[in-house]
Amino acid sequence: MDFNLSSEQKMLVETVRRFVENEMLPLEDEIEETGRLAPEKARALFEKSSANGMYAMNIPEEFGGGGLSAVDTMLVEEQFGHAKDILIRRAFGNVYEVLLKCDAAQRERWLLPAVRGERTCSIAITEPNAGSDAASIKTRAVTDGKGGWKITGGKHFISDGEFSDFFVVSAVTDPNAGAKGISLFLVDKGTPGFIIGRDQKMMGLTGTSHVELAFDEVPVGPENLLGGEGQGFKLILETLGRVRLAQVCARAVGKSVRLLNLMISYAQERKQFGKPIGDFQLIQQMIADSVVEINASRLLVLDAASDIDNGVDARDKISMAKFYVAEVLGRVADRAVQVYGGMGYCADLPIERMYRDARIYRIFDGTSEIHRTVVARSAMKHGEALYGTI
Amino acid sequence: MKVLVPVKRVADYNIKVRPKSDGSGVELANVKMSMNPFDEIAVEEAVRLKEAGVATEVVAVSCGSAVCQETLRTALAMGADRAILVETDVELQSLAVAKLVKVVAEKEGAQLVICGKQAIDDDANQTAQMLAALLDWGQATYASKVVVADGSIEVTREVDGGLETVRLALPAVVSADLRLNEPRYATLPNIMKAKKKPLDTLKASELGVDVSPRVQTLSVYTPPERKGGIKVGSVAELVQKLKDEARVL
Repeated sequence: MDFNLSSEQKMLVETVRRFVENEMLPLEDEIEETGRLAPEKARALFEKSSANGMYAMNIPEEFGGGGLSAVDTMLVEEQFGHAKDILIRRAFGNVYEVLLKCDAAQRERWLLPAVRGERTCSIAITEPNAGSDAASIKTRAVTDGKGGWKITGGKHFISDGEFSDFFVVSAVTDPNAGAKGISLFLVDKGTPGFIIGRDQKMMGLTGTSHVELAFDEVPVGPENLLGGEGQGFKLILETLGRVRLAQVCARAVGKSVRLLNLMISYAQERKQFGKPIGDFQLIQQMIADSVVEINASRLLVLDAASDIDNGVDARDKISMAKFYVAEVLGRVADRAVQVYGGMGYCADLPIERMYRDARIYRIFDGTSEIHRTVVARSAMKHGEALYGTI
Repeated sequence: MKVLVPVKRVADYNIKVRPKSDGSGVELANVKMSMNPFDEIAVEEAVRLKEAGVATEVVAVSCGSAVCQETLRTALAMGADRAILVETDVELQSLAVAKLVKVVAEKEGAQLVICGKQAIDDDANQTAQMLAALLDWGQATYASKVVVADGSIEVTREVDGGLETVRLALPAVVSADLRLNEPRYATLPNIMKAKKKPLDTLKASELGVDVSPRVQTLSVYTPPERKGGIKVGSVAELVQKLKDEARVL
């Protein structure tokens, strides 16, 4: 068992980190002040990362992506996590693995342009009454008798919806089949009856839009159906686990690392009572706990990713990582504010916004409670297989 | 034209270095190491010469222990074609490195060696000059612009009084200054390809070169912390303090 990174992995991680620090972090203050990333800056960022082969690194090479394994994807996603969500989206792309389910014709229209960064995609599953319980969606796709459907219903909190060119939309095609009656559709912006609603302002994640979507008999054909009728819920379970591990868990580890870096440098620099506050043991405890929890977080993420690479069902491990890593981020962010004191509460420094950004990690992509439930149920079913070595 | 680029593994520029507790040197255990930033500029320049069709091959060379392979892989990921590790566990000083690189340059038939002007660890700024002397080639240090044409090379140098442009016959040694270029990020495909590019190892002990140290480090310590100043009321008081307390008069 070798826990060391290979020389490629090191280079990859260092290169991405450098890119994040030089090209992305300097843009953060302006986003926070203006509430948006200026389009020309977003464009320049995309062009630079794309020229370096850093866009859509998670997608297989045969479709024009970077072809990274799940483990390597997590390593770079951790580095992405140092930056704000909107910057990550524009620089590295949120090209969701579910698009790999596109058939040959769909690839040309949706997958390949997404990998090239010409079109961007949002996932539209969440509804006001269907959050963690994604199978309880009300959005309906009713057959039009000619092989197509008409979609009616509404979604909310759809991340990046203002910017996206197309959406992966979940809708009920067979109301009598429960979770097996849900299908996924690729719906282009501009389709008649499809309305992108208002941006729902959030506590954090400044610069990323979260919109309401309304569907009023939106016509879609068989060419819009992703992965077969009634396959939607299965596809969500199959493909969103990896997205969750990458975009939530690995990025949360990166955020914790950035916060701890800031914490440590401040603890050494800030003097009270004639010595650096890092000399006080109560501060040291906050540092030590953060160090250990961050290392444990990363190991959970990489372990789950390694299972994905080995073709092992990683859903339980992803759930373990999801709530643990998100809660570690919450604790580290809280300690960072505490170590910085008034300066941590002051919006002049990034700690304040990172603290706000951290809060959503325990909520989106399944709350801590849902993922704890998954883990507990699985433990009672499988016992030691979930936490032992035998 | 074959271009040789010597690269050095040094403590990363972001690291706050500190002396070892016994004062024998700088603490490097558990310290992030990277390619010397001036060497990155040198690699970038060589790769640009290759991209412009001026250079036919870019070979990176590093002298030191096996871990220097990492630095060479970085050079390969930036676009160098091949790499050579001159392996030794002896601590190398500038003269030893210059002698080893000389052997490699001759073996390789390099027409141009581009070095970083200095390494950020010891800031010695002498390897390129020593190398040029040992090879008996022309040298142009502190380059901020390099143009190769018809068997000669025109280099703009950053000197104290401004910019100086010199023309040298090839083969030659050039050392890169900060403003020569802005090194690129290694691209993902190049990082993945770096492992497949050839990296040869030569044993320093087999190159017939005396690499024994010429300079002995007596001790390494942090400079004394600067003390706060005081305000004096009059010239007389100032003179008195300079005499009696500072003892400089």
